[in-house]
Amino acid sequence: MATLRLENLTKHFGGLVAVNNVTFEVAEQEILGIIGPNGAGKTTLTSLVAGTLQVSGGRIVFEGKDVTKSPAHLRVRMGISRTFQTVRPLKDFTALENIMVGALFARGESLGKAKERAYQVCQLLEFDRAERYPDRLTVFELKKLEIARAIVSDPKILFLDEIMAGLNFEEMKQMINIVRSLRDRGVTICVIEHVMSVINELTDRVIVLDRGEIIAQGPYQEVSQNRRVIAAYLGEEG
Amino acid sequence: MKRIFNLYTFFLLLLVVVALVRPYAFFYGLQRGSLYSLIALPLALILGIVGLLNLAHGDFLTLGLYIGYILFNQFKFDPILSMIFIAPILFVIGLAVYKSTIEKVLKSHHLNLLLITFGVSITLVELINSLWTSRPRNVYVTYATKSISLFGISIGAYEFLYVAASIAVLLVIMLVLKKTRFGQAAFAVGQNPRGAAIVGINVKLVYTITFSLATAMMAVSASLMMPRVSIFPNLGGPFTMKSFCLTAMAGLGNLPGILLSGITLGIAEAIVQSIPGYSGWSDLVFFGVLILVIAFRANRGAER
Amino acid sequence: MKTLSIIAVLALAIILPFIADIYLIHVVSTIMIFMCLALSWDMMLRTGQLSFGTAGFFGLGAYAAIIAVDDFNVNPVMSIFVGAVFAALTSFGLGIAVLKLREMYFAITTLALTSVFTVLARNLSDLTGGAAGKILFNAIFDGDPKKTYWLILSFTIVVIVLSEIFERTRVKYAISSIRNDELVAKSSGINIFKYLLIVFVITSAIQGAAGAIYAQQYAFVEPDSTFSANFLLLPIAMALVGGIYSTIGPIVGALVLGFTSEYLKLLMPYGHLIIYGIIIVLTVIFLRKGVYGTIMEKIRSK
Repeated sequence: MATLRLENLTKHFGGLVAVNNVTFEVAEQEILGIIGPNGAGKTTLTSLVAGTLQVSGGRIVFEGKDVTKSPAHLRVRMGISRTFQTVRPLKDFTALENIMVGALFARGESLGKAKERAYQVCQLLEFDRAERYPDRLTVFELKKLEIARAIVSDPKILFLDEIMAGLNFEEMKQMINIVRSLRDRGVTICVIEHVMSVINELTDRVIVLDRGEIIAQGPYQEVSQNRRVIAAYLGEEG
Repeated sequence: MKRIFNLYTFFLLLLVVVALVRPYAFFYGLQRGSLYSLIALPLALILGIVGLLNLAHGDFLTLGLYIGYILFNQFKFDPILSMIFIAPILFVIGLAVYKSTIEKVLKSHHLNLLLITFGVSITLVELINSLWTSRPRNVYVTYATKSISLFGISIGAYEFLYVAASIAVLLVIMLVLKKTRFGQAAFAVGQNPRGAAIVGINVKLVYTITFSLATAMMAVSASLMMPRVSIFPNLGGPFTMKSFCLTAMAGLGNLPGILLSGITLGIAEAIVQSIPGYSGWSDLVFFGVLILVIAFRANRGAER
Repeated sequence: MKTLSIIAVLALAIILPFIADIYLIHVVSTIMIFMCLALSWDMMLRTGQLSFGTAGFFGLGAYAAIIAVDDFNVNPVMSIFVGAVFAALTSFGLGIAVLKLREMYFAITTLALTSVFTVLARNLSDLTGGAAGKILFNAIFDGDPKKTYWLILSFTIVVIVLSEIFERTRVKYAISSIRNDELVAKSSGINIFKYLLIVFVITSAIQGAAGAIYAQQYAFVEPDSTFSANFLLLPIAMALVGGIYSTIGPIVGALVLGFTSEYLKLLMPYGHLIIYGIIIVLTVIFLRKGVYGTIMEKIRSK
């Protein structure tokens, strides 16, 4: 059974169609890449699945249950988690407390347990600035914090929205290892990414979105040769 | 947009029907509603362009009224003519208040903006209170008390000035926004301040001028209503609320909508007032509508 | 050290009626009422929602308590619970609609609520006594200032404890997350609406109870003075001066401004409230963290 199934998912903002009739499945422990030019609807798709945006049409089925109407906070508790494209740390909290929030509310743990769990996640990500406030963290550390907060809830499926942006080569390599280790722990992962080398290295399969529609899917090697995909990317530049 | 327009048409039709049954409420409400709109327009401008809800809005009106009262009392100035003096004075006061307080927190959290205009409001009210005490003041001119007969009822003639003035002020504002360079700049800033700054508009200056001009505009409503109200320090508060109510009902940036909502609510208020024994409930019309309209809009605008 | 000083302050507060004159007892009682309002306003602010409804729920509690005693023969002390419960129930019903709103829409709607309550109090004459209000024969505890003082002190302690619960438990993590970033809060599994409603109801209950006590102390309610803007203005000024988002801030602010205003009242009978307006403006511009917060920051950075 697929972990996540989207059926004819559609979202429009007024007259603008952001996601149009998108249907696909994500298998358990798969790493799926979602690519496409800017404005293709990738982040909107993530928000629809996470429940921070309401769908205009279609269904979202997670582990056999229809979650289309579930509020966002319940979806996290069920196991759908996401990072944000631009890092959004809670500035009044230390990094550790930022992570704790997820454990406290998505898993319903006590303060002590949540703290313990937050430390475990920090260790897993080799994040050692847990006591600092977000304004004193580097970009790489903020990205790690973003991931830490998303995985502390022990998700079954994780949407990573452009976690490589702004990282150098060394940091990207570390990030790739982190994503792989998450998959090995049983997490299904959707990676939204502009860095194609990362997509190539990491994903089992990709889906290409353009103007809210799926224009191609399959292994990256195959899709990258697809003429529509090339046209879509060229169109963006031209 | 079209649906909202239809809603208004429906409302107005309903009110016309009511007008036939209760003509007095219709005319009285038309006059009151126009005055409310006249007062609401500057608030809507500041909200639309500066993005600031000025909780001291009505208190600038009070201030204008007291200035007019002094001009009348000390120098026998005609209330309507005194507009030309009140406007520049209010402009300077608005400018001073804006520069010394609001501008300093404009970029910080929205809570600070609300709190600072709240603080300014209290300061103005209490300043007025300590200068002139809470004793009500009145300005009496004979021409303001004449009434005329319309469709068999007697109604104040002077108050039709409110209707004329609100239409005139609305037209002037819309012309300025469309035709002048400042107006176009202000419009652009209201739409997208960052974009406006990029194309070289001095956003800071636009904010300053908008706030000061809008404050000066309160001279029109102050002068006109002066002969018809008792002037006291807390007069402004309800007008701030009513102005916001109209702006929220019309939707941001919809200036003609303010006039339409103003008249609608003015008439609704007058109808409630005309029911014997229930006149005290008329204040609830605005608040009821405010809460309904805002809640309705918030529910639809909840997702981003 | 900290525990010791808390015990010392508490002991002093308890024995105050034995060592102070009636006037001081009275002043401290009033300050504590405002302290509770300031704390409740701040507790709501910690969720990121600026409420102007403080005076409204205060007046609501006051009316409920006076009516309970006058028309239903409820014991005056019990009537305080009536005031709290009535404010809580009202805020629960209103909260379901109002708490969908944010920023200025929330602020102005709560401000409008106070006016609505005032209109109701003025017009439901059979129940509320209309514009004249209602007067009881007897103040609470037959007007004994010492007993009244202890009652207010116990209430204040309850409010302080509540505020500390908001600061030390998971509630803090929920409401601070909501204040910082609602999208992240939602995505971390926080039921935003539930927490906003809980905080709104609890703070309104505090305001209602404060109003009930105040009304029983003076044995009357009247639309204009019971819903007076003072019960909104002073608490805000106190919390801002002391420092928002904390328990100690509003406490310090209430003490500082409370004692100052006693002298101001004597100095300028008309418009002494102008000081509060100016204080709000100045603290918002210059002291974002309030007096206490700024001092603590200076001490820490040394």
